[in-house]
Amino acid sequence: MLSPYTVLDLTDDRGDLASMVLGDLGADVIKVEPPQGSSSRRMGPFLEDAPEAECSLHFFAFNRNKRGITLDLTREAGRRVLLRLVEKADFLIESARPGEMDEMGLGFDALRQINPRLVYVAITAFGQDGPYAGFAANDLTLAAMGGSMNLHGDPDRPPVRMTVPQVWLQASAEAAVAALTAHARMLRTGQAQFVDVSAQTAMVWTMMNAMVAHAIQGADFNRAGSMLQLGNITLPLVYECADGYLVLVLNGAALAKVVYWWVEDGIVAEEWIEAEDWPTHDVRVLQGKPVRYSLEEVVAAHQRYALGHSKQELLERGLREGVTIAAVNTVEDVARFRQLEERGYWLIAPLPDGRQVRVPGVFARLTETPMTVRRWAPKLGEHNEEILGATLGLSAQEIAAASGAAAP
Amino acid sequence: MPEQLPFDRIKVADFSWIMVGPTTAKYLADHGATVVRVETERPPDRLRAAGPFKDRLPGTNRSQFFGDFNTSKLSLSLNLKNPAAVAVARRLIAWADVYIESFTPGTVDDLGIGYETARALNPSIVMASTCLMGQSGPAAAFAGYGYHAGAIAGFYEILGWPDRAPSAPWVAYTDTIAPRFLAAAIMAALDHRRRTGAGTHIDAAQLEMAVQFLAPQIMDFNVSGRVVSRNGNRSDTMAPHGAFPCSGDDQWCAIAVESDKQWDALRGVLGDPVWGRDDRFRTAEGRLRYQDEIDRHLGQWTSGRSAQEVMHLLQSVGVPAGVVQRSSDLLRDPQLAHRNFFRYMDHPEMGNIPYSGHQFRIRGYESGPRSPAPLLGQHNELVLREILGMTDDEVTEVVAAGAIA
Repeated sequence: MLSPYTVLDLTDDRGDLASMVLGDLGADVIKVEPPQGSSSRRMGPFLEDAPEAECSLHFFAFNRNKRGITLDLTREAGRRVLLRLVEKADFLIESARPGEMDEMGLGFDALRQINPRLVYVAITAFGQDGPYAGFAANDLTLAAMGGSMNLHGDPDRPPVRMTVPQVWLQASAEAAVAALTAHARMLRTGQAQFVDVSAQTAMVWTMMNAMVAHAIQGADFNRAGSMLQLGNITLPLVYECADGYLVLVLNGAALAKVVYWWVEDGIVAEEWIEAEDWPTHDVRVLQGKPVRYSLEEVVAAHQRYALGHSKQELLERGLREGVTIAAVNTVEDVARFRQLEERGYWLIAPLPDGRQVRVPGVFARLTETPMTVRRWAPKLGEHNEEILGATLGLSAQEIAAASGAAAP
Repeated sequence: MPEQLPFDRIKVADFSWIMVGPTTAKYLADHGATVVRVETERPPDRLRAAGPFKDRLPGTNRSQFFGDFNTSKLSLSLNLKNPAAVAVARRLIAWADVYIESFTPGTVDDLGIGYETARALNPSIVMASTCLMGQSGPAAAFAGYGYHAGAIAGFYEILGWPDRAPSAPWVAYTDTIAPRFLAAAIMAALDHRRRTGAGTHIDAAQLEMAVQFLAPQIMDFNVSGRVVSRNGNRSDTMAPHGAFPCSGDDQWCAIAVESDKQWDALRGVLGDPVWGRDDRFRTAEGRLRYQDEIDRHLGQWTSGRSAQEVMHLLQSVGVPAGVVQRSSDLLRDPQLAHRNFFRYMDHPEMGNIPYSGHQFRIRGYESGPRSPAPLLGQHNELVLREILGMTDDEVTEVVAAGAIA
């Protein structure tokens, strides 16, 4: 869908996903790395635990559908080549600290002179300016400043982030939306566009109904472990089962069915089925009206029941009987989840070391305009010759000077 | 000069509900599109029944959960279970450039407003169908929330403490990821349509979008058999790395030391205490090994200070530190204020209240919500008469049939 467009990706590990989304949607993406390689090549997990440029699964995962070149932007030769690429580009995405691109003569105001229809997207921690724009930041501190951490973890321990870093992925996915929004505006106005993406605010949006809560209800929402907070009741979301954990909201509709399961297993007496109007149990609890069996009894019964069954078994039974039960999956369970398998989600990718691996495929299916993976992540400088030589017509010596291969 | 908003010529029929579809349509609405949000009183969008409610008084038009995700839209109430409503829905689809729905797979076909019908009415329609598991496959009918999809996608397993059960994200986590991917796909499809005239049908499984965020860890499992799990706030490469207690009730500051240089800077801020000079802490390897000890000492220092003071002291020497902020903190966060993040607007029932703005700003216009979220059915007349061009008789007829409800 975006096949007419060229994207220059100057980001490090904070922006890989942004241009990958555009690449998955069809754009021609050129990853521009410094001579020593992007910082995302130094992010694990690594093949064979070897922290080397071609072993980073992080880099491999978020740089498909891109060609890769190296340019030394600290040198005039490198900057000159970048300017030539900018002339023909439609998008440029970078994640430098605020002001850094301007200092190199590669800021928006300089580049729009060369390409008056350029869409320039800058991804930073807090935005281009403002009191925190110069703050040191990373996944942990942005999860804190963006309000996500306060919502996560048990009340008797410190708030927590997600163990697998999420902040720059959220910001990068947002940057893809920002790029396409700005592109639509460029088409309307005929003028170059500057987009300022803030990772902090990308995280604020992950708070959903908690973000403006205090101004609306006069109180904050705070972390509650795995308890779902609904008005004046709190209900566990997570139950331990025979081989792990599952998620179930014990609302009236679910209770009307699972009460039979409890009876089958002898967890509760058969009279439970008739003694309570189960479909309205949740509403009566919420309204403080009488119930035959308390919420605590109901939760305890389900906990005892779940311990006797596997998560996959309960997921399948729930699907058959219309009870929404989710397994708490590990990445192993995700990799084996039948739905993804039968939807043909996984693709086979050749790893840099020659082995093959199953990887997530494209993020959506489109009927008339399918998304495709046309190439896997580039090796460092893999397309220097193709792009700098064949396309721009640079000599081997000029390529070496621009890409930082020759001594200064 | 008029603002020339990015999508000011785009028309959207938003038949979706709850989170993912409405948030996706909001991107288009806030940036200029005319978005008709199709809702019904029977029952209202679940978000209208979930808090926060203005002044804690529940009401269909008092939820800012609904409000924040439905700004800049028009609301049409249309009960699709009523046959007369389907004809109105079809006129809306014929009018629209984009048609978004998030029903259980098969529902729109049963209602007579599936993709084939939509394309017959409007050959270049961009239609997006989003649900948890996708339009096909053995679990397609799985009708749950992002609370469920978050567990299935693997996010519960990586949240919380290694000595305790997996933790549920407080939010329906996959709902925070999916709209970003789906909005990008719709915008790309619109650009393709502008150039070629061709529409498309997008099948957006929220699970498949969310799993992208764990791609390296899934690949790692497939290659090495390693299964990533929750580890509190610990990092594999950095220490100290955690949330540290500060003065006041449940106040915390996150601190993450990335390098030896930052470690030295941190010790300097603490006044070079004797414990910090310990040789075991000089390298990242040592700090990782002995981080329990470091955490105790550092926690003693932080607990005597406010979280703001800890953050500013450490930031003054370039150490990444950030207050664990709540909604109340965000509402007075000077950086968010600088970005004009919260927008106060007058809502007919809730009064002057803040709406969340945008995580990106496009220079040259005020990116963000343009009008407050609509009351349920607030724009029925406008949509039926002005947008769909229905005559008085036609409007009377669908109202009498009970379709507008």
